Amino acid sequence: MSSEDIQETNTEAQFEFKKEEHSAFEAEKGLDEETIRVISEDKDEPEWMLERRLRALKLWQELPMPDWGPDLSEVEVDEIVPYIRPDIDVRGGVEEWEDLPEEIQDTFDKLGIPEAEKEALSGVGAQYESEIVYQNMQERWEDKGVIFCDMDKAVQEHEEIVREHFMTSAVPPSDNKFAALHGAIWSGGSFVYIPENTTVEMPVQAYFRMNSEGMGQFEHTLIIAEEGSEVHYIEGCSAPKYSEFNLHSGGVEVFVGENAHVQYSTVQNWSRSTYNLNTKRALVEREGTMEWVSGSMGSKVTMLYPSSVLKGPGATDNHITIAMAGEGQDIDTGAKVYHNAPRTSSSIESKSISKDGGRTNYRGLVHIADGAENSSTAVECDALMFDNESTSDTMPYMEINESKVDVAHEATVGKIGDEDVFYLQSRGLDDDDAKQMIVAGFIEPITEELPIEYAVELNRLIELEMEGSLG
Amino acid sequence: MSQANVDVHETLSPEQVRTISGELGEPEWLLETRLDALEALGELEMPKVIRTPGRDWTDLHGLAFEEFVDPLKGTQQKDRVTAAGAEVLDWETALTEHGDLIETEFGRTVDPERNYLTALSTALFSTGTVVYVPEGVRAEDVTIRTTTNSRSLFNYTLVVAEESASVTILERQDTGDSPGDRQYYSGIVEAIAGENARIQYGTLQQLDEDAYNFQTKVGRAGQYGQVNWIEGTIGSRLNKSTVETHLEGQGAESTIVGAFFGRGDQHFDVASRVWHEAEHTTADLVTRGVLDDQARSVYEGVQDVGSKAWDTNSYQRENTLMLSDESEADASPKLIINNHDTEASHSATVGQVDAEEMLYMTSRAIDPDTATDMLVEGFFVPVMEEIEVKEFREDLEAAITARLG
Repeated sequence: MSSEDIQETNTEAQFEFKKEEHSAFEAEKGLDEETIRVISEDKDEPEWMLERRLRALKLWQELPMPDWGPDLSEVEVDEIVPYIRPDIDVRGGVEEWEDLPEEIQDTFDKLGIPEAEKEALSGVGAQYESEIVYQNMQERWEDKGVIFCDMDKAVQEHEEIVREHFMTSAVPPSDNKFAALHGAIWSGGSFVYIPENTTVEMPVQAYFRMNSEGMGQFEHTLIIAEEGSEVHYIEGCSAPKYSEFNLHSGGVEVFVGENAHVQYSTVQNWSRSTYNLNTKRALVEREGTMEWVSGSMGSKVTMLYPSSVLKGPGATDNHITIAMAGEGQDIDTGAKVYHNAPRTSSSIESKSISKDGGRTNYRGLVHIADGAENSSTAVECDALMFDNESTSDTMPYMEINESKVDVAHEATVGKIGDEDVFYLQSRGLDDDDAKQMIVAGFIEPITEELPIEYAVELNRLIELEMEGSLG
Repeated sequence: MSQANVDVHETLSPEQVRTISGELGEPEWLLETRLDALEALGELEMPKVIRTPGRDWTDLHGLAFEEFVDPLKGTQQKDRVTAAGAEVLDWETALTEHGDLIETEFGRTVDPERNYLTALSTALFSTGTVVYVPEGVRAEDVTIRTTTNSRSLFNYTLVVAEESASVTILERQDTGDSPGDRQYYSGIVEAIAGENARIQYGTLQQLDEDAYNFQTKVGRAGQYGQVNWIEGTIGSRLNKSTVETHLEGQGAESTIVGAFFGRGDQHFDVASRVWHEAEHTTADLVTRGVLDDQARSVYEGVQDVGSKAWDTNSYQRENTLMLSDESEADASPKLIINNHDTEASHSATVGQVDAEEMLYMTSRAIDPDTATDMLVEGFFVPVMEEIEVKEFREDLEAAITARLG
């Protein structure tokens, strides 16, 4: 990609625009049983889902706040508007962008979603506030039995399979306080089902947009990849910045069947007023592979530790994580891997950049259970710091209950190398360009995992983050 | 947070503390410090242990103090060998001769109220050693041997090396006539290295395998000063120990070397921690451990670089070798970096004896048991190389060899 490509778009304008708030239904602020019943009723949900929501609500009330990690004292869930149904006619998402109200259509146009759909994707879902507003997938995948639909619609149309997998074994609401919150007021998100031995060649994407001030978004993603199937799911998110805080607490559950391969990529660019507290977990069967690729650029506070439970022999996990924290940001992210079967392997590669007083932290847990013979794990964390106001922490935890294993963890922290900058400057680049180039090189391992359009996007975001901050 | 739901303090009285203090002929300020620590017990928590979802890495509540803490019956034997120029004193003598110095330094490096167990130690210590090395004196080979002969023993060591002084201290801890099936040993060490001073403090812990061992060793290094620690952990049933250095002065350095070898149902919770608080400081943390049978290790390493610590170099390595399928190894090497002018790295590995190395040995007609022993000895070599003091190195090697045999 050339640098001209990157400069063509004004990325800041692309994410920072705000829209008038028009909604068809907006729940009261705060959270109680009544709110849950109203949301469930508005969605016309089956009884069992309402029961699950209410059980999760009870857990939310009982569970303690995390006593570790970033400061969450500002998170007043009672000040959050948990549910906003945008003013659209078709529930479950229209299939043509033209059918959307102009303002919503305009939002996604500006974000470049329809354009990307034409060029690089098998399917797209777009969520605005609490509901999916657009959902489409190429017919050839539908013909093969691939399902890619709005999660709310899946509860109605694929009830049995959703009932079996929804917040039962992967992310039960008891997992943590925010998983419980999610379980109580989840809305929207994607349901992806890939039948046996089916390879979806181009990625499917969901894009989540919060527009209203003080709202919470709680979309749920459930991916079921049957034996021998393969899919790449991409998630993007953004919101304009408001003075009041927004809360995003998504739940992602991935079931990787025998010999199946799922890649889950996230480019997270929430506004700097968003608390981003997610729970993402994959259960991986025999010889299956789960890949988590995460780029965390936005939000005020992020707590995100995508986890893989390697249940079947020979299962594999790969994590690639990039975190970038600027002024006022606390990006606490990492990985969790449970090796519960023999011959399982995991590799975690984490890159973080902190500057202008931002804080990044790699927090990771690798657990190797007794009996998980001949398993191996390799963790590598590299951190780059730009200035003395910033913080870069690394906190890995390794729990090894099996002796026939190969466990390695490595981490380095350093400042941007004067010698590297000098080298590039001596070849005619100015200081800023040199540093940008070094950062681009630093994060290359993640950009090369993404389709080219997203790699460009990520580079654009990072370029934007770096602008004017280099001295 | 681990709650201090041990209620040993209810069986302790200020009278007992006064008795201990009186026997040592202590000044009023030290008695007050002890009584304050005793009073604080009710509010203090047990030392922090690492917690991950569903798991506490060390359970300190199994300590059952009330059964065997007997503050007035701390019996032990102590042998001290003094090197020329250094003063190696028991508390009574030290308080008489260096009362002011001790009043200034006591409890400044290890806060008595750091946690429940340090407060307990401060309130109840009945023995220990003060090492004072005056300006410019280079004292080598101070040795201290502590043999515990009672169910509980609280030991307190204070080391002060003045400007350009240097001292090497070797401390050996073992159990003599074991008075019961379980014992509790608690030790606090404060080490203060002044400008350009150097303290090297080695501990070889070979307590009875029924003993509970709690040790907190903290050093402070002034400008161009050095505090180096060597920790050999062989004995005890439950070991909770931490060695720490605050690099307070420009150009200060610290090396923390650890070696452990657990067997049976031993549980070793060891930590190495360093705080870079000034410019141009350097730290090197190296720990190697071997686990056999059902032994379990917990390692925490912390490299904390403060915002004023420009031009920091900080390295950490930890390697664990598992000889048995029943053993468990937990490790958490942490980096906390607040200054970007830092070169820092850490690495940790866990694994078993390398199959290729094993094949190499057995193909040369060495039987597998002997080969394993040789590979374990070889595994410790990088740690041994960090130990400058020959006597200590030989003792540690002997302890490891004995364990293999």
